[in-house]
Amino acid sequence: MIETLASGQLLFAALALGATYALVALGLNLVYGTMRLLNVAHGDLVMLGGYLTYWAFALGGISPLVSLLGTAVAAALLGALAYRLLFRAMLGARRTGPRVEANSLLLFFGLSIIAQNLAALVFSPTPRGYEYLSDVLHFGNVALTGNRLAALLVAAALCLAVVLFLRWHTMGLAMRALIEHREAAAVVGVDIDRVQIASFAVGFGTAAVAGALVSMTEQVSPFMGFPFTVAAFVVIVMGGLGRLEGGIAAAFALGLIETYGVALTSTNWRSILLYGTFVALLLARPQGLFGRRAVMR
Amino acid sequence: MSPARDLMVVLALLGASAGVPFLGGDYWIGVGITAFMWVALTQSWSLLSGLSGYVSLGHVVFYGLGAYVVVASWEVLPIAVSLALAAGAAAVFAFATGMPVLRVRGPYFVILTFGVAELVKFVVMAAEAAAGNASRLILGTPEIETLFFLMLALAAAATVLAWGVRVSRLGHGLRAIREDEEAAETLGVPVARYKLLAFVLSACIPGAVGGAMALRNTYFEPLQAFDPMISFSMIAMAVIGGSDDLRGPVVGAACFVFLSEMLWANAPQLYMIILGLLLVIFVLFVPEGLCGRLFRSRGA
Repeated sequence: MIETLASGQLLFAALALGATYALVALGLNLVYGTMRLLNVAHGDLVMLGGYLTYWAFALGGISPLVSLLGTAVAAALLGALAYRLLFRAMLGARRTGPRVEANSLLLFFGLSIIAQNLAALVFSPTPRGYEYLSDVLHFGNVALTGNRLAALLVAAALCLAVVLFLRWHTMGLAMRALIEHREAAAVVGVDIDRVQIASFAVGFGTAAVAGALVSMTEQVSPFMGFPFTVAAFVVIVMGGLGRLEGGIAAAFALGLIETYGVALTSTNWRSILLYGTFVALLLARPQGLFGRRAVMR
Repeated sequence: MSPARDLMVVLALLGASAGVPFLGGDYWIGVGITAFMWVALTQSWSLLSGLSGYVSLGHVVFYGLGAYVVVASWEVLPIAVSLALAAGAAAVFAFATGMPVLRVRGPYFVILTFGVAELVKFVVMAAEAAAGNASRLILGTPEIETLFFLMLALAAAATVLAWGVRVSRLGHGLRAIREDEEAAETLGVPVARYKLLAFVLSACIPGAVGGAMALRNTYFEPLQAFDPMISFSMIAMAVIGGSDDLRGPVVGAACFVFLSEMLWANAPQLYMIILGLLLVIFVLFVPEGLCGRLFRSRGA
């Protein structure tokens, strides 16, 4: 038992899972941070990205590492469309009261149900997978498949790219401004509408890429999304609203908890660990993501 | 808006439908059971979420616990006792979890309730797997007519309970919490106590309903008894019917029962897609629900 726990194998698995969670959580953090919209359908974008990649590979023989560019663009467009059609008007009417948050959540929930069941209807509920880069590589005493390594590297690179984008790009800075203080950002001339549409696009796009990476190592199925939403939510509560670097650290922490927790118990416990962490975290911080803010005031 | 008249209308409707077993066959009795189940569940959900604005996305946890209690005590206890136990277990669970859970607000409360329900589902599944029964067979379930009248009684009880809460101090307090929790607390509404009381009251009947529904099938699976789609359906029906109206759950349930009868068996996914679409449309364009739109606009 001790040998298994001390092996590099498990550490690598935890890192790979953490990188996926970090990527999924980045997008949720952006959309939540800039608009205070909690996208419970976020995990379903992971599912859609997984299916797009699967079909591109199964029908066109396109490598997942190539098709993920197309997947990212398609999901980003979907995000922009969702913002324009469904959420812009609702956000504009923000003054109508605190119901907007609860209503937008119901809206996302409705969309999530539609996406899941549409996928089940069109693609059938059977899980689907494919073989890509599945040769085993050896590094010292660690054996891993090429697809896992590729997924880890792409996820890490994309996380880094988003962090750099938020740090140096004008649009990235504007997003952070909106996360920090919406009214002040508007006063200094940030085009709120454009930033919000960009947040939706980046958030949806990164989630779909995460799905593409997940599909390389695991089977995709219509109802695979929600655990990713929960994991992403755990990550942003632990890491802090709008603090993407904190989120990345938290994602690896969750990856470690889940991987080592499952190794110590059994795979039946995976969901219990995930939801247990989630519930415990929200009960410990009932103020949710606003906690840090309230302390600062 | 006259709650007493609404109560009479709903009870009259329920009373009239008691004639179904004498007119229709088993099919219509089955439809009735489903309809009453949704009325009871949605009415209980509205009691908490419609009035207080604390939207529960995990009400299936009470339903599932009730089902589990009845199944676990099957052939040990008489039905009446185990149904009461089911309602009691749901209430105790609501009381125990309510105190910490109700401190969480707004969207966090919504997803927390979902998380709690899923957590309980996986714990029950792990417990059942550890005990070696992935699914259980239930033998000697009661006649379908018995279940029909049982469910009818539960729907009526949920309606009377929801009415009682609405016209009481508790109901007014919950509405005050929905509009502005801080202001309500400042004015002396015992916020924490009212929220907890509403949570417990809205849990009992779903517990009994879950227990009764478990007897409709001859087998029990945790995955079905704790299906999050049950929570989702309650919300969709309440939002579409009108969540702050005693008639809302009846209207919402009626809309969906026929839809589900047509589609659920052959095209469950299509049914869920339509449910999702209707929820989106109503949240965007008719947030007050059908009852709010149709009845309240005239001199309410």
